[in-house]
Amino acid sequence: MTEEPVIELEGVWKIYGANVEAAMADTRAGSSKSDILERYGAVVGIADASFAVLRGEVFCIMGLSGSGKSTLLRHVNRLVEPTAGSVRVLGQDVLALDAAALRRLRAERVGMVFQHMALLPHRSVRDNVAYPLEIRGAPLARRWEVSAEKLHLVGLAGYADRFPHELSGGMQQRVGLARALASDPELLLMDEPFSSLDPLIRRDLQDQFLVLSRQLGKTTLFVTHDMDEAIRIGSRIAIMKDGQIVQVGTPAEIVTRPVNDYVRSFVQGIARDRLVAELERLP
Amino acid sequence: MTTAVPLEDESLPMVRRFVGRNTTYYHSVFARIHGESAFRPGFNGAAALAGPLWAGARGLWGSFWTLVVTELLALVLLGRGWFGDLGADSRLHAAKLAAVAQTRDMDAKVALQAGDPGTAETFHRIAVNLHAAADNALAQAQQAADSAPRLVVLGIALWLFLRLAFAIAANPLYARRYVAWRTRPAVGSGFDVRRLLLAVLLVLLMYPVTVFRFTAAEVPVVLLHVPVAGTLAGVLAGWIDAGFAALYSHGAGFFDGMRDVIRFVVHALETVLVSTPWMVTMALFVVGSWHAAGRRVAMLTGGAVAYIAVIGLWELSMQTVALVATAAAGCVALGLPLGIWCGRSPRAFRLVRPLLDLMQTMPAMVYLIPAIAFLGTGTPPGVVATLCFGLPPMVRLTALGIQQVPAEVCEAARAYGASDWQLLCGVELPLARPSIMAGVSQTLLMCLSMVVVAALVGAQGLGTVVLESLQYAASGRGILAGFAILLCAVVIDRVVQGAFAADDK
Repeated sequence: MTEEPVIELEGVWKIYGANVEAAMADTRAGSSKSDILERYGAVVGIADASFAVLRGEVFCIMGLSGSGKSTLLRHVNRLVEPTAGSVRVLGQDVLALDAAALRRLRAERVGMVFQHMALLPHRSVRDNVAYPLEIRGAPLARRWEVSAEKLHLVGLAGYADRFPHELSGGMQQRVGLARALASDPELLLMDEPFSSLDPLIRRDLQDQFLVLSRQLGKTTLFVTHDMDEAIRIGSRIAIMKDGQIVQVGTPAEIVTRPVNDYVRSFVQGIARDRLVAELERLP
Repeated sequence: MTTAVPLEDESLPMVRRFVGRNTTYYHSVFARIHGESAFRPGFNGAAALAGPLWAGARGLWGSFWTLVVTELLALVLLGRGWFGDLGADSRLHAAKLAAVAQTRDMDAKVALQAGDPGTAETFHRIAVNLHAAADNALAQAQQAADSAPRLVVLGIALWLFLRLAFAIAANPLYARRYVAWRTRPAVGSGFDVRRLLLAVLLVLLMYPVTVFRFTAAEVPVVLLHVPVAGTLAGVLAGWIDAGFAALYSHGAGFFDGMRDVIRFVVHALETVLVSTPWMVTMALFVVGSWHAAGRRVAMLTGGAVAYIAVIGLWELSMQTVALVATAAAGCVALGLPLGIWCGRSPRAFRLVRPLLDLMQTMPAMVYLIPAIAFLGTGTPPGVVATLCFGLPPMVRLTALGIQQVPAEVCEAARAYGASDWQLLCGVELPLARPSIMAGVSQTLLMCLSMVVVAALVGAQGLGTVVLESLQYAASGRGILAGFAILLCAVVIDRVVQGAFAADDK
């Protein structure tokens, strides 16, 4: 593959605390996380994470809560500033962008969906979907046209004039998805989008997302704590533990050749017959 | 359950750590107290003997102070009965009376020798009366002296009762402290020699001096008054005066400019409100509140306007409205940005909060002092003092509203490329609006409550009427004006609240 990856993270570290620089230097010298916490009161959130996402991929980051997966996702559009490492997104060095260029990247090329929807409660569904366009200063007619189109895409035509609190959780998250698609971004960042929904609706939305994903072919970085979900949705999966990426591979590789006991413990939970069915589905 | 339930096994080392000294005794005591549902009196010998010293050494400072104060009462009774010269005051009085009576007797003799029996008779009568009064005082002195043994008995009885009560209460109190210590070890535990020393020091300091002050006949002045010369206050006040003067002379242009601007704004508003034909202004108020808050509030406004007009306070009310509106607008103009800043930066809020506390706690009249020093008398210092008083709720509630905006919504806005300004206008302010509106309403009411105080420095309006009624005892008119102020407040509150509720629907 000669094309440059859509996302490329190289040796990314994130350390929280007061004396971050000294902690970082000490970490490079090989000190363990508990030493860093003891010596500097600093917490290592992400430790030397590297991965690349290719165009059209749905790349899942799977990990338990506190494993740093949401933090890692937020490095891509620089909602979180890394302590060290490089982040390249869509051919740009994200860390070198000035404020205006960064805002342009976020508004035009990257869409994001949040775990708790994060819709604006004082705006109608229509204006929520159109929010990214409004940020860019698009005229009203254009905003309404686009939001009608995206709402239709996620199956919510006719709900445009409602307010978010009038909709069910599943519908709210579909509004969130429509909003992420509004500016026709090349890259979708999804932070546990379905985990706050009940199982039936979650399944439903996963199916809908798969259809939509194939139809639109958007490169997607998808964070989840649910191995089933990762296997259903991901074309590749990165498994995280304590801020480190433990294994990267296709669902089949992860399931058949887990690198260690930690990954194996996840995979054991997957029902055998289900797995076969899912694997057959893969291209 | 009737049998005492023993404390769980881990309790022994814990009790040992908490108690420090006498662990077996307290372990069994705690086990008994915690094993019973009803109170059964026990007796703590150490507490009975050492009293406040035991409480101090064990860190029960609440008990220490209660015991010290009540014991002092008992000891003062005892001391007065035992050592005190109880009749002293009355005897001194009697002696003075007797001395005066003797001089009057002399006067009478002199007058008699001078051949003036009328005057002599008068002096004599006075002397007789004085002698009677002196005898009376002596009898009182005797009575007081006789009551001394009773005081002694009362003092001893009270002291014994206090120690007994404390000895019974000590163990339950200490057991309760143990329970508190289990969750918060910071409350202090054990038998601490340093605490004991502190308790001894406090008792030695307070007991003798207090008992001496109430029993001795001649009390040194040091015990009666704080021994300070009045010079320090004078010096400090002088410095403040000089500071004000220097500040004024350096910033005269600024302060004069400020005064002129305030005067201009208030005057312009007054002119508009007063000079516009009254029926136009009134109609504006009523219809405005209808549109803002609905028919009920419009009816209330109509009633209030009618009352004010009929009572003949229309012009003064409009002056008050102009003053309050100017001050409140100032509060919003200053408080909103400050509140936003405080809401976004916790550090800024930590800096500003003590200032806000000070502004709210300071008696409102005190603001008048610098206001007059810098702005002279009249409406401008009234507006500034009102502004200082009304600012805190605006800042607080704005900051609160901004803080309550969900972090995830802000993050979403950022993720879609919103700039700081877009985040503020499109997300934070709209979501903080309920809180901000509550701040505006609070600020308006605070400003209105300052109207009478502002009148003290010559700000015109309804406050002047209230103030005059205080000065000339014209209660009727003052109370009518007071009601006018009240109605203004109710109308403002209803209109703001109503406008806000209507928006939500």
